[in-house]
Amino acid sequence: MTAPLTETGALGSVGELLVAPLIGFGFGWFLERGGLGHAPKLAGQFYLTDLTVFKVMFSALVTAMLGAFWLDQIGLLDLRLVYVPETFVVPQAIGGMVFGVGFLIGGLCPGTSCVAAATGRLDGLAVIGGMLTGIAVFNTMFDRIARFYESTALGAVTLTDLAGVSRGTGVACVTAMALTGFALAARMERLRR
Amino acid sequence: MTAYDDPYLAGVGLGAVLLGAYVVVGHGLGASGAFASVVAAGTAAAVGTARASALPAVAPYLPQGITSFLRDWFVLELVGVALGGFCSAWLAGRLRARVERGPRVNNAQRMYAALVGGVLMGVGAKFARGCTSGQALTGGALLSAGGWIFIATCFVSAYVVAPFARRLWQ
Amino acid sequence: MTPIRGVLAIVAATAGLAAAAAGPGSSEQATRLAVEISAGGDHISAPELADRIMKRDPTLQIFDLRSAREYEQLHIASAQHASMETLAREHPRPDATVVLYSEGGAHAAQAWVLLRLRGYRHVYVLREGLYEWISRVLEPKLAVDATPREQLEFERAAEQSRYFGGLPLAGVARSEVPVGYWTGEETAPADITRQAVAGIRRRGC
Repeated sequence: MTAPLTETGALGSVGELLVAPLIGFGFGWFLERGGLGHAPKLAGQFYLTDLTVFKVMFSALVTAMLGAFWLDQIGLLDLRLVYVPETFVVPQAIGGMVFGVGFLIGGLCPGTSCVAAATGRLDGLAVIGGMLTGIAVFNTMFDRIARFYESTALGAVTLTDLAGVSRGTGVACVTAMALTGFALAARMERLRR
Repeated sequence: MTAYDDPYLAGVGLGAVLLGAYVVVGHGLGASGAFASVVAAGTAAAVGTARASALPAVAPYLPQGITSFLRDWFVLELVGVALGGFCSAWLAGRLRARVERGPRVNNAQRMYAALVGGVLMGVGAKFARGCTSGQALTGGALLSAGGWIFIATCFVSAYVVAPFARRLWQ
Repeated sequence: MTPIRGVLAIVAATAGLAAAAAGPGSSEQATRLAVEISAGGDHISAPELADRIMKRDPTLQIFDLRSAREYEQLHIASAQHASMETLAREHPRPDATVVLYSEGGAHAAQAWVLLRLRGYRHVYVLREGLYEWISRVLEPKLAVDATPREQLEFERAAEQSRYFGGLPLAGVARSEVPVGYWTGEETAPADITRQAVAGIRRRGC
């Protein structure tokens, strides 16, 4: 397997840090290209007036998912060496809910707030300030919530691990779901006109 | 100001960048972690590195003391995100110093809401071990259970709260 | 729907659908190797190896992964010496039967994984290495109070031993009979192997 490059030794620790801003550049570039540095556009998703968030996010997800799956299949990428985040069922569910509320009120997420701020949007800076504050608040409460924070840990499991199906089946299902979602979005927009 | 790109194309581009991250460095994108790194550095600056490193919530972000954030992959990535966003907007004539808001609120109200939203996202992202970039996008593409739990709960809760916050955006 | 969106949708749909039909990827293969290891499919016994050598199996290649000096002192007949690095440059034929042994077995086990991942299907480790070779093939020992089964085993071993110029010994005290996984005992420590080798060398040719 030739990749991940940092795991096969093709890229050292200095190289790893050097590519970070390059990868980030691509990230920020495409976020801005899609208009995700513009809070009203992001919020529009939740009023169903602007489905950009869904379209960008899920086409990105499907692209990376299919790409990773097939590169692993042909032996170019070793997916076992790619970091999969750990699952903590209840804390992540609660965290997701709280995050969702914040996302709706703030109109920008951590990544897009940087794009917004970098393109002159002062509300982006406010979101950034809020996030730094929120994290600091979390840190001060940490002792009290540490047990809850570490609860319901399942390790780095995937949906296909839990469902007992092959990774390929999961990939196929997510792709089908996303394409269906895109078709529904198109229909919704047609009806609006 | 030019119109935004086709969201699907932007999405595919974003997905390609994410895939590139998997291939080159063996992990995906992230944003909230970088913020936590900066908070850790700030904490070390405020109470001293020794005391900060003794706090379990902060310690993981200070492996090399107060300057750890300068060597944090995700902090460097976010610097790139800002640059990339800036360049894209600049080339498209979309750079604007302004507060973006819905029609029924004024700038001050919007800024206040942005701050509150940010606080909630900061807390939520810590519990979730990530945000829309790290959990939803990166984790989701790898079929991570936690990533999809985050996607589901985040989107559902945003839709549930939206009617109550109409004033902010519509 | 613009043409490019249509193209992207078709590509995604095809890649997604094909994913469902895809077999295990290269990374799932490693999980299968792990299952094989725990089921013992990576092992070959010394008598079995001796048998293959005696039958002059043309696909057989044996690699001794110990130090060059140890190899020179004594090695399994027809075995080549290799280090982990030189093994990476070896290119046995795809259908080769590769047998590996080393001091303590760690290098042999590691080399097993590497060769399997390179695509070789018939790779085996001699679990107790040279110790097993000496105990069960070169110098089999029959205890005075041997069971009938042990006697049968000894006769088989003696025949192999003679082929390799070894020294079968009967009428030996029970404590002198080497033990290992084949007698249901624990693995042999490295110094026992060294003693065994030293004993053979002291005998002279």
